[in-house]
Amino acid sequence: MQRSQTSFHADPNQVYQPAEDSFLLLKTAKSEVKPSDRVLEIGVGSGYVSSGLLSSCQLLVATDKNPHAATIAYASGVPVVRTNLAAGLRGPFDLILFNPPYLPTDPSERIDDWLELALDGGPSGRDVIIRFLQEIPSLLSSEGRVLLLISSLTGPEEVEDLVRKNGFVSTPVAEERVEGGEILLILRLTRC
Amino acid sequence: MKRELYDILCCPVCKGDLELVVKEENDVEILTGSLICHACSVTYPIEEGIPNLLPQNI
Repeated sequence: MQRSQTSFHADPNQVYQPAEDSFLLLKTAKSEVKPSDRVLEIGVGSGYVSSGLLSSCQLLVATDKNPHAATIAYASGVPVVRTNLAAGLRGPFDLILFNPPYLPTDPSERIDDWLELALDGGPSGRDVIIRFLQEIPSLLSSEGRVLLLISSLTGPEEVEDLVRKNGFVSTPVAEERVEGGEILLILRLTRC
Repeated sequence: MKRELYDILCCPVCKGDLELVVKEENDVEILTGSLICHACSVTYPIEEGIPNLLPQNI
């Protein structure tokens, strides 16, 4: 479903455009999703992943804090809520997808625009992942699954440790080497 | 936003129920309106089909 242009002028340059990580997440989500699933994508960006799953599940909703991303994803037919991670949403969801800001970013490197919000994972790269892991227990159904994309730059072992501390088990389900030797990794999380 | 979305929205601060007030709606969805948290006395806007549940400056 295409929607008509809105009066808010959304700037695509302020939105993370689909890249290797988005492609890997959609591919993995397509093999994970079931027709009965209620799906939540946090940080919808351009809408690439969510719009690719709309017809494969019972319900899908996506969030983004960035007004440019929310408007562009909505225009591509994705039901969007502007909120911080999933603050304004109530579960339970059966499948939660998150391609978080995972790049380690020193405060001196910050430029403070909307695009940076999609990339900046704080000094360790894990700041947003920590907040996410605290929120998901109240959002996920008892048999629910999470697909979390991280990178070799994010510290996969540290992330898996954080996952365990928050009451989840993680299994790597996809891996891809990208330019510069960075490795993208998708972790599938379920309750212990 | 479609009306079915209303069931899964809550106040981002207190997680309580929101009251839905519709100003403009077409055959498919709500285009303009408000989501009100009475416990927090905060009104969250729905503009151009998108509910905004970010903290509001009062």
